[in-house]
Amino acid sequence: MRLTAEDPAVTAEQFVRSNRDSEYVRLLDNTEARLWSVKKVKEWLEKGFEKETPATFTFSIRILESDRLIGFVGLGGVQWSQGDAWMGIGLGDRQDWGKGYGTDALRVLLRYIFTELNLHRVSLGVFEYNPRALRSYEKAGFRMEGRQRKLYEREGRRWDGIVMGILREEWEQLA
Amino acid sequence: MNSDLFCGELVRLTVEDPRVLAEAFSRWDRDSEYMRLLDSFPALQWSTKKVQEWVEKDQDQLRPDLFMFGIRTRSEDRLIGGISLDGVKWAHGESFLGIGLGDRTCWGNGYGTDAIRVILRYAFTELNLVRVSLDVFEYNPRAIRCYEKAGFVHEGRLRKFLDREGERWDMIFMGILREEWEKTA
Repeated sequence: MRLTAEDPAVTAEQFVRSNRDSEYVRLLDNTEARLWSVKKVKEWLEKGFEKETPATFTFSIRILESDRLIGFVGLGGVQWSQGDAWMGIGLGDRQDWGKGYGTDALRVLLRYIFTELNLHRVSLGVFEYNPRALRSYEKAGFRMEGRQRKLYEREGRRWDGIVMGILREEWEQLA
Repeated sequence: MNSDLFCGELVRLTVEDPRVLAEAFSRWDRDSEYMRLLDSFPALQWSTKKVQEWVEKDQDQLRPDLFMFGIRTRSEDRLIGGISLDGVKWAHGESFLGIGLGDRTCWGNGYGTDAIRVILRYAFTELNLVRVSLDVFEYNPRAIRCYEKAGFVHEGRLRKFLDREGERWDMIFMGILREEWEKTA
């Protein structure tokens, strides 16, 4: 896969399609699953582009072979003075899960983070009920740093939020 | 029922006039040590005017995910800091606690511990949350002790998250569940 920048109309259409799948939404985010129109999402994206701050970096993910758009990966909350940021990733179409696309996108993003942005570490949060993502982050070199006990309520029970991080020196040893 | 949710033994939680709060914030911001204990952003100084605009905006919006208070001593009615529950996630019953005592003459006198007791009671018995989270820096043992005393449990650390004084420091995260708080209360 490769990381790309897309027209807001294209991203919005893909976002809305992915968003119809409530399981995807619950693996991705802790906000309540709900449905948005393409028009609304496009407006947000355009607004976001206008005031894009240097603390956010978002890319779309396309498969190299077919050039198909399958998801996004992004960095937020970059703190330049401390040299760290938070990352997130989502593959909206279930048929693309478990094929190594996410792991590959993480590799490219980490290279970008440590050799272009020159950050010192990256953090991420993952839900206890998402073992697929957890394995993928471990493969990419992230280490478990703790768990926020019973942080979320879903399906009538409470789940931990797991926090992970990778330092530049750890990434250098992998690369 | 408790007769006054906002009142502790040493302090009470207040809503302040934006101008009063802004004047206090811009005074406290002059103390870079305070700023570095409070936040990971670069220590900076803001004008009273600018801070007042922010506070007014926050108060006007009535954000449903933010509960912010001033902290005043009961003995002298002196404004010594601020405390907030922010990012309330209603669907999950969870929120993030932040506290700062800008007036360093009152550090180490139990005001912070008392304010945290009051806001936890508010979080668990008025907002009916299930859990409260917070972050604290490795180089702030005074705050860590205070959170431990209030019942917060260590949950992990973001290794080398901060770069200060030429050294990297961990950011520690802690949390308390309602059932744990009920046992301490």
